[in-house]
Amino acid sequence: MTIESLELSGLSLKDALDLATLIEEEAHERYLELADQMDQHRTPEPARFFRFMAENEAKHGAELSQRRRELFGDAPSEVRRSMLFDVEAPDYDEVRAFMSAREALNIALRCEEKAHAFFVAALPHLTDVSVSALFAELRDEEVIHRQLVGRELSRLAPGPEPEGEAFVDDPNPQ
Amino acid sequence: MTMTSPTATRAMEPKEFKSDLKPIWCPGCGDFGVLQALYRALAGVATSPHEIAFVSGIGCSSRIPGYTTAYGFNSVHGRALPIAQGIKIANPELLVVVAGGDGDGFSIGGGHLPHAVRRNVDLTYIVMDNQIYGLTKGQLSPTSPRGLHTVTSGMGSMEDPVNPLLYVLAYGAGFVAQGTPADMASLASVIEDAIRFPGFAFVNVQSPCVTFGQEEQQLKAHRARMKPLAKLGHDASDRLRALALASDYGKELYTGVFYRNPEPAPTYDALVRQRQAELRPAALPRERILELFRKAGGE
Repeated sequence: MTIESLELSGLSLKDALDLATLIEEEAHERYLELADQMDQHRTPEPARFFRFMAENEAKHGAELSQRRRELFGDAPSEVRRSMLFDVEAPDYDEVRAFMSAREALNIALRCEEKAHAFFVAALPHLTDVSVSALFAELRDEEVIHRQLVGRELSRLAPGPEPEGEAFVDDPNPQ
Repeated sequence: MTMTSPTATRAMEPKEFKSDLKPIWCPGCGDFGVLQALYRALAGVATSPHEIAFVSGIGCSSRIPGYTTAYGFNSVHGRALPIAQGIKIANPELLVVVAGGDGDGFSIGGGHLPHAVRRNVDLTYIVMDNQIYGLTKGQLSPTSPRGLHTVTSGMGSMEDPVNPLLYVLAYGAGFVAQGTPADMASLASVIEDAIRFPGFAFVNVQSPCVTFGQEEQQLKAHRARMKPLAKLGHDASDRLRALALASDYGKELYTGVFYRNPEPAPTYDALVRQRQAELRPAALPRERILELFRKAGGE
């Protein structure tokens, strides 16, 4: 998880909202990518769950974007996607072909924890009160998201995890 | 600078370089991170996709041109470098990036590498080094460590691996770096530096094979043992020190720029253009070219 070339202490509310939107956008895209990977490798349940997570990230991103527009209209942004890496997005090496739904939910859980840790670590560096309030709000939302994923996890029926060797991955020409 | 006529007049976003084709690598493959880092690097360089040519050989990692919006040529096994050199010399305004795996680059294509380095054509060569032939289901590759058990070395490899970093430095490359997708921000930065270097630039990326690779070569292990050269205080203009560090390939995972020639030599493509400019005033007009051959034939 990195934020490149961004001085958090000087962050304005406009840029903080843009940054938060980009964090959600990155997570949304990554979950979709992982869902595609799961589909390619015939792992449907994690694929469905990753798409569900992608929708949630998109919804949250749209809310943040709306707030930004209401407050600052089309004022140009000072932050770009290339400034951040994997703040809330799952790492590519988290997934495996034929992983279980439980493993997929655990990945999402770790990502919510990772995002929470980011906002916790950033808070002491912020100087603008409105930005601190936004980051505290986002930090607390990550706790709620973590609880939601935790509840989904507890709903999963106990059972044996599928073993990779039991599956045959047919060639997939392009 | 590599780019001779960039048309991009605005900051570019990584997603502008992402094609609609979905990667079919195994989930967890290191190449996904390399691809992301590459998108970021290209956005940093801010050259439009139509001014970039991606050339690759054959293998898992050689699929990469298809996943970008740049021009792409998924060429012949081991022959990416000669093709890329031709493209750059014929189209000097293009930014040419070559990508492939360790088998493609150091085995079947191993004979082309020293010549590409010594010619110093302005290319960036990114090797996704996974120490195995993954696409063909896990045979020994030129960078497989001694003792590795594979389908072609059931009792363990009896060969030492080639050392790509040492090899390329010894042939005189002006820019030599290494990265891992375990640190995508640094990898993107190293690739961007390589693209900006005026001359042959080599980036060895330790990109693990999640299906046939060793456990200790996976990204989780990289995170624990990688040593960024910048944090070690390495002076990238010190070639002898770079050679010493590079000799630890396989033992230490150094990341960052090993060597950047502070006084880059003229590139082959620039010298070709210079030679063309020198010869042009004495050149016959195109419609009289045949006269040269008639004279040589005694007419």
